[in-house]
Amino acid sequence: MSIDRVLSKLWVPALLLIVLVLLATFTRYASAYTVILVTSILMYVVLTVSWSIFSGPTGYISLASAAFFGVGIYTAALLGTKLPLPIVILIGGLASSCLAFLVGALTLRLKGTYFAIFTFGLVELIKHLLLWYEIRMTGTRGRFVIVVDNNTIYQVMLAIFVLLLLTAYLVRRSRWGLALKSIGENEQAAAHMGVNVTLVKVSTFALSAVFMGAAGAIMATRWTYIDPYIAFNYFLSFMPVLMAIFGGLGHSFGPILGAAVFAYLEEVLITRFPYYYMLLFGIILLVVIVYLPNGLMGLVQTWRTRRLERQHATA
Amino acid sequence: MDTKDLSRREFLRGAAVAGAGLAAAACGPTPAPTAAPTEAPAAAPTETAVVTPVKDKIVVGMSRPLSGWNATIGDAAFRPIYETWVPMVNAEGGIYVEEYGKKLPIELIIYDDKSDVGTMTRLTEKLILEDKVDFLWPASGTAFIFAQAPIATKYGYVLITAEGGATQIKDMLPSLPGVFVTLSFSDWYQLPVLAEILAAKGAKTAYVSYIADLHGIEYSGVAGIEFPKQGIDVVGLKSLPPDIKDLSPVIKDADASGADIFCCFAYPDQNMPACGTSMELGYNPKAWVGGPGVNFGFYHAAFGPAVEGLMGFTAFARGSSPALDQLADTLYEGKPEEINDWWGHPYYWAGLDVWKAAIEKAGTLDQEKIRDVIASASPENPLETVLGPTWFDNGLLAKETHPGEIGQWINGVFEVVGPTDKATAELVYPKPPWPTG
Amino acid sequence: MLTFLNIAIAGLLLGGLYALIAMGLSLQYGVARVLNISHGEFIMLGALTTYTLYSVAGINPLLSLAIAGPAAFALGYIIHRTLFKRIAASSESPAIFESNSMLAAFGLLFIIQNLALIVWGPETRGYSYLAFPVNVGGALFGANRLVTLGFSVLIGLAFYLFLARTRMGKAIRAAAQDPETAGLMGVNINWVLALCFGFGAAMAAMAGALISMCYPVHGVMGIEYAVIAIIVVVLGGLGSIPGSFIGGFVLGLVGSIVAYFEPGLTLAAYYGIFILLLLAKPTGLMGK
Repeated sequence: MSIDRVLSKLWVPALLLIVLVLLATFTRYASAYTVILVTSILMYVVLTVSWSIFSGPTGYISLASAAFFGVGIYTAALLGTKLPLPIVILIGGLASSCLAFLVGALTLRLKGTYFAIFTFGLVELIKHLLLWYEIRMTGTRGRFVIVVDNNTIYQVMLAIFVLLLLTAYLVRRSRWGLALKSIGENEQAAAHMGVNVTLVKVSTFALSAVFMGAAGAIMATRWTYIDPYIAFNYFLSFMPVLMAIFGGLGHSFGPILGAAVFAYLEEVLITRFPYYYMLLFGIILLVVIVYLPNGLMGLVQTWRTRRLERQHATA
Repeated sequence: MDTKDLSRREFLRGAAVAGAGLAAAACGPTPAPTAAPTEAPAAAPTETAVVTPVKDKIVVGMSRPLSGWNATIGDAAFRPIYETWVPMVNAEGGIYVEEYGKKLPIELIIYDDKSDVGTMTRLTEKLILEDKVDFLWPASGTAFIFAQAPIATKYGYVLITAEGGATQIKDMLPSLPGVFVTLSFSDWYQLPVLAEILAAKGAKTAYVSYIADLHGIEYSGVAGIEFPKQGIDVVGLKSLPPDIKDLSPVIKDADASGADIFCCFAYPDQNMPACGTSMELGYNPKAWVGGPGVNFGFYHAAFGPAVEGLMGFTAFARGSSPALDQLADTLYEGKPEEINDWWGHPYYWAGLDVWKAAIEKAGTLDQEKIRDVIASASPENPLETVLGPTWFDNGLLAKETHPGEIGQWINGVFEVVGPTDKATAELVYPKPPWPTG
Repeated sequence: MLTFLNIAIAGLLLGGLYALIAMGLSLQYGVARVLNISHGEFIMLGALTTYTLYSVAGINPLLSLAIAGPAAFALGYIIHRTLFKRIAASSESPAIFESNSMLAAFGLLFIIQNLALIVWGPETRGYSYLAFPVNVGGALFGANRLVTLGFSVLIGLAFYLFLARTRMGKAIRAAAQDPETAGLMGVNINWVLALCFGFGAAMAAMAGALISMCYPVHGVMGIEYAVIAIIVVVLGGLGSIPGSFIGGFVLGLVGSIVAYFEPGLTLAAYYGIFILLLLAKPTGLMGK
């Protein structure tokens, strides 16, 4: 094996290791605000990757992300002062997971768009019921959340991200992942082949919600004040979908790349061009979708193909 | 949708690419605000030098709702004020700061928080940590202030608020020594005055509808305390969800209750249809009171002569004082009526005046000294603003400095009708019938 | 009895607007397969245009229907021909087209809203038009609201007849049911889809014109209506124009019944009924 081949095999894991080490030691050398910004980008990455664990292979577009995230937020608001932070985050994840399990079980018969809009309606239903409950029963609308220092928030978010990556990887590699893919290709055929379609769908949905809930619980401590409108903001349901499409739905790493670039781009626009943020962002979305129908990963792949072709030509 | 068979190698490669992207995004140069369309570049962080400090401007940062649902509020309330006030002050060379021995012009850094609290908290920390602004000006809305005030306090910044204020913040203010609230609100000191002037005219019963949020709950709660104090019974209470469209059940319910006073403690999206529906149904209570919105010129522009007799919250009218008359000329003369705001505008303006006066008095840009100057202002030792002598009462703009509390549309002008000693016109009670045709 | 009449008519008044908005989206979503989240922006454009024409030039809002509708049609038609057609051509499968067009619709929402804020500014606007009571069997209602109901039903029915009776309508229905077969049968599918998108935008703008007669309007009003429209379209059954029409009235009536007892739960009721109905009938009211 030539040195070249060895290098070409090793550079990917090496780079991954370097990036993880960089991220893990980030708070030591990055500026205080960069840590905050990366926390926020990581939040979007976590939401998008969790979303794509279920929706990627199965093709079921879930718009319930805001509900799972919001449950985590309310967990932090209700329990933040009473329990230690790791327990609160764990409870946030588990509570979201229970909700996802329930939703998954309820929506078994729904297909395609009906599933998407059902999950969307659910977020709104929860928001309005919670609002009504808070006003009628507790006489409040908003709640204050315990304040946690920014580096801790970053580290927790990074931990969630790493766990999520591992989980996503293991799911894809396992028979479970194959079963999910077969559901996406043809649900009936999958059932005939002996896949327990119900169990696989519902449990994956519940699994993906754990991370969204946990992310919500830790993020709430950055927002300091929340109410049902802030916690159950339907833009947060659409964001993971948009970010995944932006990155490229057909690629395993599209969601990560999409979320990171999308979130960073937004930060640049709202600070550099505050009066034209929406206009510019809208134009970018249109340009990307028209010229890169397979998302940003489509672009990466094109580059790679070209490079390979060039290598062939020179060889 | 994943069409490729995913091998471990591909996984790692993809992870590395994406990770590199993430890292690049993270480590990449964070945007300097230099390209903001209306602003010049931000100041370099200032070293508080020991001997002769050098500084050529005061940098002020803001996270504002330039897009999203909150833009209709923020852009109509505080934005026209700072966009008028800053050029006026800069035209005179800026604010004199003794420490530097000269006048320093003001420079604004403005970011768009997309009407999102999470984004606002992040941008606030960006302004403080990265842009190292000298001062922070407020975000828009009560919920946003709740989230922003603890951050400002954490970094030792003074925060004089604009849009928003609530009874709930009163309890928080002792733990927020650098936060000063300028806008008047329910029990500070609107509803006690409302109850008093209506009771004086013989009103006995009230029907209260309110929006299901912080604002509405507070106003309905305070009304439930202040009305009975003046012998007015609250005979009906209805909450409205923020996105309610059809108000006719509420108006019919209010009509059936026969109450003298109808209150709609909600925003324009609700209280404008409430007014329209009242008109359409011929519901004409003796007093019709609306929340934020009635105080804007656009209410008159929208309803024309039908606004006659409608009551709302206010601060001033022409005739309140010569300084305020001049303010009205500066802000509204030769502009469309829609932009007039008789409630919030003078308070936001006064907030900026307080800030300027405190800097001049302290002779420094040091947050703590400026905070002390504002906090120690008193009736004997006030700061001069457009409202006249101004001071704060436990972090709230003292009610003695309010030029008015309750307004009413009379002959096409939103007059101050309460408290009576500050009124520019007498309360019309009962209100005239809706115009016909 | 009078209470019942009150609730029923109030429900119909709101339902008429919802029906009109939903029919427009039904064409875009049910036929052209674009989850057009920017639908509400066309409502906003119609509303603000009507407001401007009325307050600046004194043009009767009902006349504005005939101005805003065709203008929005042209805009929608052009957007489909230039944008969504390209996306359809470059997307490998219908599923990819659906997700890509959703992203594009968000882009449109952002662009239109920002432009509207630049053109009209942030202020909330409104005007009084036909604001006097009309007695309907003892129940009182605003004349302007009754007029909006009348026009909603009229536009809805006219469009239904158009779909049922004309050649163009048949082509649209064929495309809604089975685009591939319709294409084979000689229907120019791109043209039909662009027409649907245009009609959808026109209905949104006309609904916006009607909304401006009763409700305050501003640059960020759209999304709220778009959300309702999405719910109604799915409630009625994808691709079913009558389903959307009926679904709008169902939602309006449910809203007004709940509002009578507890206004705070109106919106929860919208979503509650939507969720219950889908659980009972997973393809909506009139879905196949």
